[in-house]
Amino acid sequence: MHSRFIKQGSIFLLLLCLSTFTQRLFADTLKIGWLSSLTGPLSSAAIAENRGVELAVEEINKSGGILGKQIELLTRDTAGDPTKAVNFAQQLAFTDKVQFVIGPVNSGEGLATVPILARAGIPNIVIGSVDALIDPVKYPRAFRMINTNRQWISTANEYALKVLKKSKVAIIADSSGYGTSSAKSATEMLELAGVKPVYSVIVDPNKTDLSDELTKARAAGADIVMPWSAATGLLARVLNARGDMGWSVPVVGHPALMAAQIRKLLNKPEYWDDTFAAGYLSTTYMSDGKLPAPTQALVNKIRPGIGGGEIDILFWWVALGYDTVKAIEYSVKTAGSTDPAAIQKVFESTKEFKGVYATYSWSPTEHNGFPDSNMTVNAASTFKDGSFKQAPR
Amino acid sequence: MLSVFIAGLAIGMVFAAVALMYNVMYSTSKVLSVTTGHLSMLGGVFGAYVISTLHLHWVIGLLVAILVGAAFGWITEILGIRRILVKSDEHLWLLSTLALATIVQQLVALWWGTEPKPFPRLINQDFNVGVLDQKFWLPIALTLLMALGLELFYKKTMYGKIFLAMSEDSFAARARGISTDQIRQMSYLLSGALGGLSGFAAGQLTFAYFALGLTLTLNGFIALAVGGLGSNIGALIGGVALGLLNAFASHWFGGEYQQTMAVGLLLIVLLLKPEGLLGSKELRPV
Repeated sequence: MHSRFIKQGSIFLLLLCLSTFTQRLFADTLKIGWLSSLTGPLSSAAIAENRGVELAVEEINKSGGILGKQIELLTRDTAGDPTKAVNFAQQLAFTDKVQFVIGPVNSGEGLATVPILARAGIPNIVIGSVDALIDPVKYPRAFRMINTNRQWISTANEYALKVLKKSKVAIIADSSGYGTSSAKSATEMLELAGVKPVYSVIVDPNKTDLSDELTKARAAGADIVMPWSAATGLLARVLNARGDMGWSVPVVGHPALMAAQIRKLLNKPEYWDDTFAAGYLSTTYMSDGKLPAPTQALVNKIRPGIGGGEIDILFWWVALGYDTVKAIEYSVKTAGSTDPAAIQKVFESTKEFKGVYATYSWSPTEHNGFPDSNMTVNAASTFKDGSFKQAPR
Repeated sequence: MLSVFIAGLAIGMVFAAVALMYNVMYSTSKVLSVTTGHLSMLGGVFGAYVISTLHLHWVIGLLVAILVGAAFGWITEILGIRRILVKSDEHLWLLSTLALATIVQQLVALWWGTEPKPFPRLINQDFNVGVLDQKFWLPIALTLLMALGLELFYKKTMYGKIFLAMSEDSFAARARGISTDQIRQMSYLLSGALGGLSGFAAGQLTFAYFALGLTLTLNGFIALAVGGLGSNIGALIGGVALGLLNAFASHWFGGEYQQTMAVGLLLIVLLLKPEGLLGSKELRPV
C-alpha cells in the first residue's frame, strides 16, 4: 500500500515537472501568426510568399532563434475568404496570443482583419496593397512592407505618358472592389497629369471575351491600353483579344500581366510582346544580365526546394515573404523584447532596413515602408526564373 | 455588335446546357442539385488535363470528360440524394449537394491549381477568324445537339418515357413496377455525362478553371427559372436570354451592372410568371 502510494506520487511529480517544462518550452517561443490564403482562388501569391516565410523561419531557428527564442509559426489558411480571415485573426490574437501577425495576403481580407489586430494591439505586417489598410492613427501597429496600389499605378502611368509618350489611354478594370477602386485611382492620377482617358470600362472578371471592349477602345482612338485587375484569366483575354484583332497597341498595367500563368493562357506566345507592368528593381535583371546579389542569393536558396528547375512563380512574392520574417527579427532584436509598444517604436524609427525585396523605411506618420525608388517597369515577355528585364526606356 | 451577340449567345448556350442538366435530374428526383455546374467544370478540367498534360488525342479527352462527369453525377445521386430522399421530405438535399459541390471544388483546386489553365484547340483554326472561332460555335452547336438528343430520348425511347412518367408522378410509376431508384440513378449518370460534354465544349471559352462550377450552377439555375422548370425549350430560351442580357448589359452599361441585370431578369420573371416562360403550373387537386 505504502509503495503504491510512493509510485503514484512519483508519477504525479514527474507529470508535473513535464508539464512545467512544456510550458516553459512554449513560453520561450516567439509566436508569429501567418494569415495566408494557401488555397482558394487567390492562392498563387500566398503559396510563393509562404516559401519565403518558411525559409526565413527555418534559417532563424537554425541559428538559435531571436533573443534565444525559437519562432513558432502559426499558419492559418484563409482560402481568400474575409470571413475566415476574421475568425483566424481573432483566434491568433486572443486564443493563441501571438506576438506578431503577417498578412493576410489579399487586401479584401486585410480590410477586415487590420482593425481587429489593431484593437488587440498586435504588431501587424501588412502585405496588401490597398491604401486604406494603413493609417498610423487608427492602426498604430500596422506596418506595410509591400508597395501601395498607388505606387503601381503611378509607375505604370509614368511609363505610359513619359517613356512611351502615349496620351490616349484606355482603362480596363474588373468589377471587383480592387478593380473598381484602381480604375478610379488610375483615372484621377492620369487627370492630375493632364490626361483624360479616351475610354474606360469595368468588366466582369469572368467575362469570356474582351473583343467588344478592345474594339471600342480602338474606335475611341486609344494608343495605349491599361488594365487594372489581378485576375489572370481576364488579363489573358485582354491580350488575346488584342492579338486576335491584330492591334499593335502597348499594354501597361497591373503586375499580374507578367504572371507565368498568363503565358500559358495566351493564344500565341507573341501576344505577350509589347506588354509591360509595374515591377521591382530587386527582381529585375541588370544590364549585365544578373540579378541584384541579395535576390540571386535567395533564388539559390529557394531553387532546391522547388525541384531545382526554373522558377515559374513571380519571385518578388517569395522575397516579400522572406523579408516579413526578417523585419520581425530585426524589430525584436532592436527592441530587446516583444513588447508591442517597443516594437512599434522600432518600426517607426527604422530607416533603410535592407531586405531582399526592398529597402524599407517607416516613421511615426508614414507606415508604408516600400520606397518609390525600388519601383520599375518590366517587359512581361522577358520572364525568366521569376524575374524580368527592364522595359525599354 | 455581331461579336457581342455571338459572345453572349455562346455563354448563354453554356448556361442553357446546365439548365438542361438540371431538368434531367429534376425529372426523376425533384431535386435541384448544387453540383450541376460542377459537372461541367469537371468536363473542362479533365478534358484539358488529358489533352494538354497527358498529350492524348482530343477524342480520348472528350470520352474522359464525359466519363468523369457521369461518375460524379452517379456519386451525387448516391451520396447527396438517395439517403436524403429516403429519410426526409425536407429540402436537405440543398445542404448535401452543396457539401458535395464544395468538396469536389476544393479537391480540384488542390490537384489542378487555383489559376485558370488553357483548354487546347480541338480543330486547326487560326485565331483571327472573329465570330467564327470554334470557342463560340462549339458550345452553341453541342448544346443544341444535347437539347435535340434529349427531346428524341424522351419521345422515342422507353427509358425516356419512364423519365417522363417519373416526372409526372413517381409514386404511380413505382406502382406500375418501375424501379424508380434505378431510373433516378440513370438520370444522374446521364446528366453528369451531359455536364462533362458541355464543359468540354465550352473549355476554350471559359478556360479550365476550378471555380467555374458555382458560377455555372447559379447562372444555369437562373436560365432554368426564367425558361421554366421541366421545359428543355425553356432552358434554351432562358440560357440564351441570360447570356445575351449579360453581354449587352456589359456592352451598353459596363460590367458593374451585369450581375444586377441577370438577377433582375430572374426577379422580373418570377414576379410576372413564377412558373417561368414555358413552365407549366402545377395544379394540386384538393
